[in-house]
Amino acid sequence: MHADLGILRGQLEAIVGGAQVAAGIDQTALFAVDGVIPELVVRPGTQEEVAQVVATCYAAGAAMLPWGGGTAMGLGNPPPRVEVMIHLDRLDRIVEWDPANLCVTAEAGLRLGALQEILARDKAILPLDPPASHRLTLGGLVAANQSGPGRLLYGTVRDWLLGMRVVLPDGERIHCGGRVIKNVSGYDMNKLFIRSLGTLGIVTEVTFKLLPMPTVRAGVMGLFPELTQAWTAVKQALESFLLPEALDFLNPAAVTLLAPALGFQATAGSCGLAVALAGSPETVERQVHDFTALFRDGGGTVIPLPTERTSQAWEAIRNLLERASASNPARILCKIAVPIGRTGDLVAAAGRVGQNCGLQATVVAHAGSGVIWALYLPGSEVVPEERVVQALEGLRGKAVVAEGTLVLQNAPPALKRRVDAWGAPGDGFDVMRRLKLEFDPRGLCNPGRFVGGI
Amino acid sequence: MANKALVLELRQIVGRANVLDNMVNLQLYQYDAYLEEHRPDAVVFVHSTEEVAQVVQACNRHGLPFVPRGGGTNLSGGTIPFEGGVVIEMIHMNQLLEVDCSNLRARVQPGLFNLELGNALAPLGYQFLPDPASQKAATLGGNVAENSGGPHCFKYGVTTNHVLGLTVVLPDGQVVKLGGKAADPPGYDLTGLFVGSEGTFGICTEVVVKIVRLAEGVKTLLAIYDSIEAGSESVSAIVAAGMVPATLEMMDQLVIQAVEASLHCGLPLDCATVLLIEVDGLKDDLELQAKAIEDLCMAHGAREVRVAKDDAERALLWAGRRGAFGAVARLAPSFLVCDGTVPRTTLPQVLRKVAEVGRKYDLRIPNVFHAGDGNLHPLILFDWRDADQKARVLKAGMEILELCVAVGGTISGEHGVGLEKMEAMRLVLSEADLRSQRRVKQVFDPRNLANPGKIFPVPEEVLCAR
Repeated sequence: MHADLGILRGQLEAIVGGAQVAAGIDQTALFAVDGVIPELVVRPGTQEEVAQVVATCYAAGAAMLPWGGGTAMGLGNPPPRVEVMIHLDRLDRIVEWDPANLCVTAEAGLRLGALQEILARDKAILPLDPPASHRLTLGGLVAANQSGPGRLLYGTVRDWLLGMRVVLPDGERIHCGGRVIKNVSGYDMNKLFIRSLGTLGIVTEVTFKLLPMPTVRAGVMGLFPELTQAWTAVKQALESFLLPEALDFLNPAAVTLLAPALGFQATAGSCGLAVALAGSPETVERQVHDFTALFRDGGGTVIPLPTERTSQAWEAIRNLLERASASNPARILCKIAVPIGRTGDLVAAAGRVGQNCGLQATVVAHAGSGVIWALYLPGSEVVPEERVVQALEGLRGKAVVAEGTLVLQNAPPALKRRVDAWGAPGDGFDVMRRLKLEFDPRGLCNPGRFVGGI
Repeated sequence: MANKALVLELRQIVGRANVLDNMVNLQLYQYDAYLEEHRPDAVVFVHSTEEVAQVVQACNRHGLPFVPRGGGTNLSGGTIPFEGGVVIEMIHMNQLLEVDCSNLRARVQPGLFNLELGNALAPLGYQFLPDPASQKAATLGGNVAENSGGPHCFKYGVTTNHVLGLTVVLPDGQVVKLGGKAADPPGYDLTGLFVGSEGTFGICTEVVVKIVRLAEGVKTLLAIYDSIEAGSESVSAIVAAGMVPATLEMMDQLVIQAVEASLHCGLPLDCATVLLIEVDGLKDDLELQAKAIEDLCMAHGAREVRVAKDDAERALLWAGRRGAFGAVARLAPSFLVCDGTVPRTTLPQVLRKVAEVGRKYDLRIPNVFHAGDGNLHPLILFDWRDADQKARVLKAGMEILELCVAVGGTISGEHGVGLEKMEAMRLVLSEADLRSQRRVKQVFDPRNLANPGKIFPVPEEVLCAR
């Protein structure tokens, strides 16, 4: 261990207690980020302890990263250095739960799944549904801006987060926003930290507005022999009055992967559309009817997902790519975001990348939101890295031409050293760089991982 | 009067006819819908992003501040040129640049009125959801700058939830495009940070907004009550029953009387409050929802519930609400609109205390409020010619904000801080919170030229030194 890290370890132990600071590779290797193993893992027990830990690391010049559930640690460029991992799992308390006002405040280390269970007892939901919600923490949800199929109807973190507490890089604690729906008391500082990936500080507490739990849920799945049939159905659905929670497209590989979980036989080459519906019995019944008709008329085979199977089915859809690949270090998971009407084109392009590189491409798209998840896994042949680099850059080029972006959500570190995780930073980069410099002039919070090397 | 050199430069940029610098014209730009007045040195009408950038660059060369202005409907003094300088009038940049239904987006210039966008989208079957009550005269650029709300926020959120991209002239005159039609652009959410920055981070010259299909159906109800408590309890009961109405608006007796006197909507003059409720969405359950809401209102003490039978009746019910601020002008020469927001269930207790504040300062305070999202608008009536009244009004306004903060609310829901609530910022923000916001301002506008003298209270160290 580096000499000054020895001193730092003592200081951190004085803050959180000796048992909450781990050193030594056997304990810290689990927290490696893109192969870089932290020197120390510290587990503060309160928000005040987080502030003290951060201030101490900052003064010592130690690079620090927050770790919640570890579900989004693959996002970002490989870190040049990681000295201290600040593990937030002990910050898992509900601070205030106000069912009558549909508002909850919780610490950042609470798992999303655990929160939903608590809310469900009072018939409320936080309508954000990213994968791995049983592991994902609220802080990670916010910092990595994670989302799921339900973003079609409900939007993303920025639409539900009302307030937060943040520890700035120098250890100062601030409060952003509040607990009311409308709030223009000064700048909307929440937006500075949502999706900032811990580069401007560490989120320690969040306040969300909520929705009453829908009375009924159901779903419909359509299987289409032709891609164009599926995209025509998507277009018709978006032009209708119908209000599905989610409308996910699955390419043939994704359909095959999903079939066992849902108990249907996938016809080779069929792609799928899955619809989630929620609301009153009357509106859900009507939408089940209308989507069934829409899919059948469009040449699809319909698989009903009745109420009793809906949550299980969507659990499988949401987690499909995660479950298929989480343990595979070779996985490449891309998130492509384009204007909604270009989704079909980019899904097709994402599929071709697989064919061209001899990689297995599993593609799921949130069709009404313009968000595409493309998972690439190695097939039988060994693919030269150069070819993968070129194919990904080509796909990114297509996304950019369509006024969109491609982000590497997960990829082997060697590949990320050749293909930037985020792509070229846009027009606003100069302001972003200066924001980073203002709040973290020593560059110690999650350094080197964010856009443009921030 | 502006310095001659600047005026000449401005004329070169936008043409002589688009620069105002004589006293009479300048006086027309020294106020908005708030109570203070400060005269600009010049007013410039701009027609393109390029012109805005050049005007801002000229202001930089002369070290003079600038303030963008749209419809001038701001209620907190956001468009008043507090330190003089140049008012950049955006009202001619009012083109609807693109309606892109296949991507569910529209591109607009900031001078377009909110209602004009709505009117252009409706025949195509689409809508832009934020609709502040002033939508006839409020521009979209102003909506962006203030992060405006309106009556539909409980279900549909505020302006920021519907803005995806911006073209911005930064305070140094540089033009940047932030965000766009696609979701989740990588990097910090500068679009989200800019919305609600009250003109202090620069000037937006183009806005990409989210549009959605018009709802298949809508049902509008009006519940009439003999007590405010009963109305508020009905609101809580409706939400507790799992419904999410698009609108839950209330007006009290004084407002109802003013509205009736000017608009004749058929509201009873002797009731304590009316609750305007709207449910929208798929038509299949709207009748059932309306019936359930009617029953809940009656069970919680409504005297009567009226259901709009057609669009004409619906329009009449809405006319009363949308015209409320205007109608209140009948009651007194001036009023100060408060804009506190509280957790919904605390509304009855807060309203009682607002009435106490009125008695304490001997002021009449009618109320209009967005009951669904807890945003209340006590309207403190007074006569601006009476200095003593004006002083009492400002004290009463501050006390009402303190009440809101005490129950977990905040000092502004949708009107902004501007000049009005700078000192109230300390009620909700710590010195560290304020410092962090100032640091963001410093990053965007190191020379402090963009709408200076707004939002921030006097720093503590300056106060201590005094």
